[in-house]
Amino acid sequence: MTVGPSRGRRYVMLLLLLCGFSIILFRLVTLQVLQAAELTAKADRQHQKTVSFEGARGMVSDRHGKVLAMNVEVPSVFGVPTSLESPSTVARHLSPVLHIRSGELEKKLRQDKSFVWLARKVEPEQGRRLEQLSLDGIGVVMEGRRFYPKGPLLAHVLGFSGMDGQGLEGLERRYDSHLHGEKRVTVLQRDALGRTVFPKGLAEQVPTPGHALTLTVDEVIQYIAEKELEEAVTHTHAKSGTVIVMEPQSGAILAMAVSPRFDPNVVAALSPDRWRNRALTDTYEPGSTMKVVVAAAALEEKVMTPGSMVFGENGHMVVANTTIHDHDKLGWMTFSEVIQKSSNIGAAKTGMVLGEQRLYRYLQGFGFGQRTDIDLPGEVSGLLKAPKDWGRRSLASISMGQEVGVTALQMVSAVATLANGGVMMKPYVVSEVRDQKGRLLKEMLPQVKRRVVSPDTAQTMTRILEGVVTTGTGAKAAIPGFRVAGKTGTAQKIDPRTGAYSSTQFVGSFVGYVPAESPRLAMIVIIDEPQGEAWGGAVAAPVFRRVGEQILNYLGVSREDTVKIALATKDY
Amino acid sequence: MKALTITAGMLLVFVFVWERVDVVRLGYQIERLKVQKVLLERERDQLQVKFSALTAPERIARVATEKLGLIPPQQGQVLMVNQQREVPSPTLPPVEQVRLAKHVSTGRVSE
Repeated sequence: MTVGPSRGRRYVMLLLLLCGFSIILFRLVTLQVLQAAELTAKADRQHQKTVSFEGARGMVSDRHGKVLAMNVEVPSVFGVPTSLESPSTVARHLSPVLHIRSGELEKKLRQDKSFVWLARKVEPEQGRRLEQLSLDGIGVVMEGRRFYPKGPLLAHVLGFSGMDGQGLEGLERRYDSHLHGEKRVTVLQRDALGRTVFPKGLAEQVPTPGHALTLTVDEVIQYIAEKELEEAVTHTHAKSGTVIVMEPQSGAILAMAVSPRFDPNVVAALSPDRWRNRALTDTYEPGSTMKVVVAAAALEEKVMTPGSMVFGENGHMVVANTTIHDHDKLGWMTFSEVIQKSSNIGAAKTGMVLGEQRLYRYLQGFGFGQRTDIDLPGEVSGLLKAPKDWGRRSLASISMGQEVGVTALQMVSAVATLANGGVMMKPYVVSEVRDQKGRLLKEMLPQVKRRVVSPDTAQTMTRILEGVVTTGTGAKAAIPGFRVAGKTGTAQKIDPRTGAYSSTQFVGSFVGYVPAESPRLAMIVIIDEPQGEAWGGAVAAPVFRRVGEQILNYLGVSREDTVKIALATKDY
Repeated sequence: MKALTITAGMLLVFVFVWERVDVVRLGYQIERLKVQKVLLERERDQLQVKFSALTAPERIARVATEKLGLIPPQQGQVLMVNQQREVPSPTLPPVEQVRLAKHVSTGRVSE
């Protein structure tokens, strides 16, 4: 008989095996069930890498494809404070590269966080230097940064975008839905050495960049307008200034300059007042430039003809217990002379002949008291009260450009209507939206808003406005070799302390178009609070001339005295 | 027959393994090329910004006046020449485009 292990020893073995398996089972349940979620996440962190891709913000270019705004990837620097042994040493190394005080960096690096931004969107050279330093706990990632390579050029129209790529002002804000790139999060696999393994279909996962905008603006025309405006504002010690150049036949904005300028690459230190697009957001009492609208209405309604005689009351007329003055003691004059000599009394009389309802209808027809609906944010509708709210003097006041608030854009649109034969066009600054492959997504075509006056009235007004420049108050707007039509304006500003018209603060302006017989551009020049001589004819008209002359030369518009050379040619 | 089957089987396994290894290798290669593409695109964008800044009208005007001593043309110094066509001449030799001021003729002209 074979003697085996005793029953006791067998039980002990069985017990040991059971214990062993129980431990394994317990560990298995712990790992696979109880800690499953936590451990899976931990494994994923080791083997997977979550990458957030954000498509680049779309490019903005002028009408000839010159880049005005684009995105470039630049380094952003971050720290991992929990992995730093000596934050002060690291901060001392980083300080000269990032141009940030060592103490400030050390404060960030001593925070009880696993991630802190140290400097975002720095220069590429700074990123390269940091990589050379190879500091533990300091990392560099690439982020898209918005660049405006032309600096302040067109800044008030372009606006700017924020640190996280969202449009904050100007076109960047208005067209943000088109400009911003698509954001996509992708999970990549990493091998044992931490290298990223190229997954299938990643190429298809690259986020789509934002759409590109092409503007109606011409950067050279914009430069000319900004340069001349800046010089005029500096020379006259004015508070600010605006120039808008528009194509009358289409409503396309060729230039929109605002002074003082700002650089959209460095907006952090500036106040919102600096980047406000005054051409759309600020209203002013236009003064005599409003007489253009009153005169056009009177001609269209046939209550006046260019030869109608108007008495100037020798320079002063009492209306509703107040006296209206002219700059000279004017007597009898033709209706054309009323405009050319810029007679307040003549304009007031014209308004009275028209009557409240008709004048109001034409003011609305020319776009006052309503937005032009230009594709830029922040536009205001101005101030135009309904006739029921007018006072006893209102008819006379509005006829000479008081008691009404307009924007520069409204005024240039109104005068461009006359340049376009009486048809008002909708102003616009973006002509095309294209995708990243250059395919046309949206094309903005010129839009007719309405006919305001007949072609005959527009033509008569052109003749009258030419007289303003040849014999009237706008002589300094004359451009040799071209026929210029336009009107000067000098408006007193309201003194906020007294609530009355100031005797020292004025807005000088000139609005017109050239060449008068076949207008290529309509333009308004506004100089706000010039010091010394403040007449529109003295401060704004010369800017019109300088800007207009350079633009016409640039566009190759023939002068009246153009030399004509005949070339013998043959077509095949 | 048995040896042939084993050899064929081993060959298949070898091809399968080789293919898998090659896919991984190509994956790394694609990854490297993609990184290179990103770097080149980044450089292109940086150069484009630089080009755009250098060709800004403001800078060109500054260089023209301050470095080259040029001045804007004064009144009467710019003469626009307007091209007019005459009756085609049959004796004219064919030449390329003629550029005169801002007007371009695509026809043929006498030299």
